[in-house]
Amino acid sequence: MSGLIPIVLLGALILIFGGRLLVQWSRRSRTQVVTIEDYYQARAALDSVFVETAAIKRIFANEDMEFISQGRIGDVRRFFLKERKRLAIQWLRMTQRQVARLIDLHLKMASYTYEPSPSLEFQLTVKYLCFVLISNVLLAFLWLRGPFEAVKLVTYTLRSAEYFGSVFSLRLEKIDPVKLGPASSPRMV
Amino acid sequence: MHLPLVSMLRFAIVRDLPSMNTNLIWLIAVALEAAILFRGLRTGLQKRYLFFYCYIGSLLLIEVLRILCYRQTPNLYGAFYWETEVVRIVASYGVIFEIFKRALRHNPGVARTAERLLLVVFVVALTYAASDLLHGGFGSVPRATADLGRYLLYVEGALLFIMLWLFGRYRISFGRNLLGLTLGYSFLVALDVVNLAFLSTPGNGSSIALRKLIPITHLITFIIWCASLWSPQPDPLPPAESAIDRDYGLLAAKTRATFAHLSTRVGRTLRP
Repeated sequence: MSGLIPIVLLGALILIFGGRLLVQWSRRSRTQVVTIEDYYQARAALDSVFVETAAIKRIFANEDMEFISQGRIGDVRRFFLKERKRLAIQWLRMTQRQVARLIDLHLKMASYTYEPSPSLEFQLTVKYLCFVLISNVLLAFLWLRGPFEAVKLVTYTLRSAEYFGSVFSLRLEKIDPVKLGPASSPRMV
Repeated sequence: MHLPLVSMLRFAIVRDLPSMNTNLIWLIAVALEAAILFRGLRTGLQKRYLFFYCYIGSLLLIEVLRILCYRQTPNLYGAFYWETEVVRIVASYGVIFEIFKRALRHNPGVARTAERLLLVVFVVALTYAASDLLHGGFGSVPRATADLGRYLLYVEGALLFIMLWLFGRYRISFGRNLLGLTLGYSFLVALDVVNLAFLSTPGNGSSIALRKLIPITHLITFIIWCASLWSPQPDPLPPAESAIDRDYGLLAAKTRATFAHLSTRVGRTLRP
């Protein structure tokens, strides 16, 4: 009976991916070809990821917490923790959206590349799935414990964001501009 | 995982000729196959999807030969069913090739990646199937033929799964004809794979229910193909040549500007 499971799973996955193809086709009017504007927007998004990752480390800096704790005023400390928690959650959600957008653009642009690398694509898929998992764990952790307890997870998230930025940069270098859509076309993002 | 031959032969008989209802479904399916072939020849779609129409033609021929065999020599029907089933599955590989070739003709980069991936999956699946087949031994020719047919179907299912995953992942655009062909084919292969797997558990409630559903799923597939391939529909086009030239000039200019900006920033950073 256990031998049946992979075969039944294979059949079910064929049906699911077939259904996804149909959904993708039904939404084709909303998803246009990648335009040259998207190409430059993607570059800007990539730059913003690097800028944010450098600046955001301050939100989780223990030095600030130590400084506030020296004052021994409970209200100030509570207010500080509340503000930092709000900022951290906002930043994490924004990073998740940014990485999802980069991945989306990466996949759309992949078909325009001269020579996509299967190993790179596989690594990217695995790392993206890990990123989604870890960043959601971090989100839950931030809600429960606050920003200063989640430094390791934050470091992982920052490294992942930087990794996706680097991969995307490589993708842009390999893009075949001749195959991009016209600038006047509606954007797909 | 080896299927008992009796179950397989029962599957063959249940699938094709058990009752009036099944006979009616079978007749409708044959009529639909003929209609798809006729429309393909009439509209010229057979030139665009040559392998697919060869597959439909072979299906039609096999169905007619099977019914003749059943009427003339019912004792040989079981063995004949599995021999023709292997031919059908081999012919259906042409449909996989057709879908792959048509879907990725504007995406040479993805096509190269997919070729490699499909080759790896094909070799791995075929090796696994061959080792399992050899390990099981050859009790009889009909049994060996049935096993070969089953493994070829599993390999086909694995290839189709990889292709569908790639199409979805890289947002490959489809025309209506190709989409209908792909969806109908996926539906057919998925349910055949699951059904054949369930045959290894005789007496299982799901297995019996699935076996009864199989003629209907074939009918649904033919309806999908008939509807989507009734008339030729335009395929998605690559970007127009004039726009490409204009954009390439723009891109080159902006890239030069970006390089100049980067050089300035690097120079400032390195300055003591």
